[in-house]
Amino acid sequence: MSFNLFDAEEKAIERARALGERLAEAAPECSAGFNELLEAFTRSYREQRRLVRFSDRLQGQLATVNQELERRRQEAETALARLQEAQEVLVQSEKLASLGALVAGVAHEINTPVGIAVSCASHLADATGKLKALTEQGGLGRNDFNRYLATATDTTALILANCERAAQLINSFKQVAVDRASAERRSFALDAYIQETLVSLQPKLRQGNHTVSVDCPAGLTVDGFPGALSQILTNLVMNSLQHGFDPGREGHITIAVAQPDPDTVSLTYADDGKGIPAEIMPKVFDPFFTTRRGEGGSGLGLHVVHNLAVGPLKGGITVGDAPGRGTLFTITFPRVAPAA
Amino acid sequence: MERLTIAPTGRTPAIDFDFDGGVLRLSGESYPDDVATFFGPVFTALRGFLAEPGGAIRFDIELVYFNSSSAKALMNIFQMLEAAARDGRAVTVNWRFEAGDDAMREFGEDFSEDLEDVTFNLVEGGADGAP
Repeated sequence: MSFNLFDAEEKAIERARALGERLAEAAPECSAGFNELLEAFTRSYREQRRLVRFSDRLQGQLATVNQELERRRQEAETALARLQEAQEVLVQSEKLASLGALVAGVAHEINTPVGIAVSCASHLADATGKLKALTEQGGLGRNDFNRYLATATDTTALILANCERAAQLINSFKQVAVDRASAERRSFALDAYIQETLVSLQPKLRQGNHTVSVDCPAGLTVDGFPGALSQILTNLVMNSLQHGFDPGREGHITIAVAQPDPDTVSLTYADDGKGIPAEIMPKVFDPFFTTRRGEGGSGLGLHVVHNLAVGPLKGGITVGDAPGRGTLFTITFPRVAPAA
Repeated sequence: MERLTIAPTGRTPAIDFDFDGGVLRLSGESYPDDVATFFGPVFTALRGFLAEPGGAIRFDIELVYFNSSSAKALMNIFQMLEAAARDGRAVTVNWRFEAGDDAMREFGEDFSEDLEDVTFNLVEGGADGAP
């Protein structure tokens, strides 16, 4: 048995034809008009069949397109998820790379006092050797001995001072490095911590004769994540050095800390470099945005800064033009970080 | 008679009815929000054109997508053309579709069913394939 969607219409047409034949005999004057109506109905029936076919076909196409759309949407979502994972990995490796730079900076910084201590020790060893030889020959005079004492006093003082300097550097670095690597929460004196972070950056700053001035209320203690803060400062300084200061120009960086209220810390970081063009200003915190793609820029430095400011510090960061010239970053965060 | 040209939009086709030349063109996509608003003026112009005696008519249709209302409007146009052809006017419809577009070919075949006096050509080609 075959199913016909238009069974009723076709049967009606058949009956009308039969009726038309009877009408041709019974009332021939009505026949032409009737046939015209029948013809119109038949055409309308064909058009209806056609429209149903069109409509089915179009809806079928629509369904296919929708399926394709859904498939592509899922593909896009998968790609986005993969991209976000890759981004996370890159951000982590950027953090590690900047930790590496920190280590290199401190190693360079410690090299100076250690080098002085080594040459002083070597000088003292020479003098001691000579004194010993003279003593063994029995030719040690008062003047020789006095000269040796003077040398020993000078060199030991220098060795001591430089070893203390090295120990101090190692101490400050140790704290910064541990904070950086562990992301542990603790209380810390903000002023001292900023200074300790800057120590590791000294070699780079000195290369271009750049200076940093810090204005932070003494005794301001922050309870939060010093590693994040140190990373932020490092990245901002590196940003100034790489983008703000043209080679051969001495740059000035100012770091000023204020407390708009007792529970809030506001750190402004300004340089007097060439500033950020207005058209790229809105993009500087975007991941992978860089003006130095071909020159090793990852486009992650300020993105990491932004992530740390809104993440661990639970605060915010804005960027703008420094008065006069240069760039100004303002980081505002609670003095006591809220529990995660 | 004045030429009727309507620029295409995302939902309505381009219309170029060169009545004096006897060449009518309709191309693009057709799924107007309001079928009467779009096709109303088209029908009025076409009806006026067919009411006057004239020479041969060529109607080129090249649609990539149309909805059911547009299909019904096309069938109405074809009936008007069929009536003109029955009265002795030479009418050719060129139903153009992109190579490999089986749906458009079948739609054209369907439309041609009801046309006896109109010459209905299925023209497969590129986007601007010549007949």
